[in-house]
Amino acid sequence: MEHETKAAETQPPKQQNNLSIPVAIIIAGVLIAGAVYLGTSKGAPTTAVNNQQPQQAPQQTGDLDQMAAISAGDHVRGNPDAPVKIVEYSDTECPFCKRFHGTMQEVMNEYGKGGKVAWVYRHFPLDQLHSKARKEAVALECANEQGGNDKFWSYADRLYEITPANNGLDPAELPKIAQYVELDVAKFNICLASTKYNAHIEADVQNATATGGNGTPWSIVVDKNGKKYPLSGAQPYASVKQLIDLALQGK
Amino acid sequence: MLFQALQKVFRKPVYILLALITSSAVFAFAVWLPNIPLIVKVMGHPGISLTQKLDLPISLLGSIATNFTLLSASYTIAIAILFGINVAMFVYFLWRRVDEVKQAGVATGLFGITSGVIGMGCAACGSFLLTSVLSLVGASGILAFLPLNGGEFGILGVILLGVSLYMTAKKIQNPAVCKITI
Repeated sequence: MEHETKAAETQPPKQQNNLSIPVAIIIAGVLIAGAVYLGTSKGAPTTAVNNQQPQQAPQQTGDLDQMAAISAGDHVRGNPDAPVKIVEYSDTECPFCKRFHGTMQEVMNEYGKGGKVAWVYRHFPLDQLHSKARKEAVALECANEQGGNDKFWSYADRLYEITPANNGLDPAELPKIAQYVELDVAKFNICLASTKYNAHIEADVQNATATGGNGTPWSIVVDKNGKKYPLSGAQPYASVKQLIDLALQGK
Repeated sequence: MLFQALQKVFRKPVYILLALITSSAVFAFAVWLPNIPLIVKVMGHPGISLTQKLDLPISLLGSIATNFTLLSASYTIAIAILFGINVAMFVYFLWRRVDEVKQAGVATGLFGITSGVIGMGCAACGSFLLTSVLSLVGASGILAFLPLNGGEFGILGVILLGVSLYMTAKKIQNPAVCKITI
């Protein structure tokens, strides 16, 4: 590269240089110190709709092998014996989960009908961001209680369709969705008011973080040999498709 | 002054190239960040063809449209561009006056690096960097207090990079000349 030289140049005033370095260091320090202070001095507000502890910051220290085995208690869309399974940990009030729900519907349209891919739904409500999500997770379980897998997915599709996300869904809509998918609303409301699914939902949350989930949607693609691929966020359909094709090859 | 400094630096194609490469690298890093474990796993897999290995990261770049809000995508792109320009101008400056950079360049670099790292990318729900990189210092607490759920750091990053750019431009455009008062 060319050096430009100026005959009249000399060293800049020392005072200016001496100030700029400490200022930059102070700004960096303040940012980090602020992060430390805010994060450790006050607990996050408890926004969970049940009595369980608020979620801690998910740490990316997980191990995919910690994923709970897919069982009869899971909500599976498509062929339960499909060679490729996508386990999605999702938050109903997360706008990216809403977007990814559509992507997964597209996936099931292409791969689900042939029995190649199964979609497993698990709960991952981020209480600190979306205080309503945990109650909506309960609503999904209540739908499952009444109508099994079919009603669970009908309810989920409708919920993701109508929620504006980011805590925008009026809780009064939950019984209306129940009615829409032809559930017994009275029974649904009793179930919704109960705490019987809290432990199940919390177990899903804990499993999400144990596997390395640090945001939603968090997905794990499992191939026919049990090999697992992590997929974080609402990735485009093209990426999900490529991952599925890799998993189908069982490499 | 800034415009003149930019003209001075970018009239040399090598600096345009440097800025483009840096910006692209920063952009790709920000977009891939949530899925680096996946990319590493696929890249390191001996049974996967080279084409497939390349296809996945390329398609993941599309997540700027699916995995970012309009705000986070905007500041991620802005940070990538500003970072590239900053690096190009910094290198230009470095080549001109090594001695001075030893003192002033440190400050410029710190501005850029601090803002870039903290402000970059907000993937999915929960700012990725805040929850993963800064989780050790209590990211979840921060998120609960921030109205933009961490987007503030991105905006701050853009501002700091702008300041950094201005500082570098100022040094390029106003060389330390001994002024003669008549």
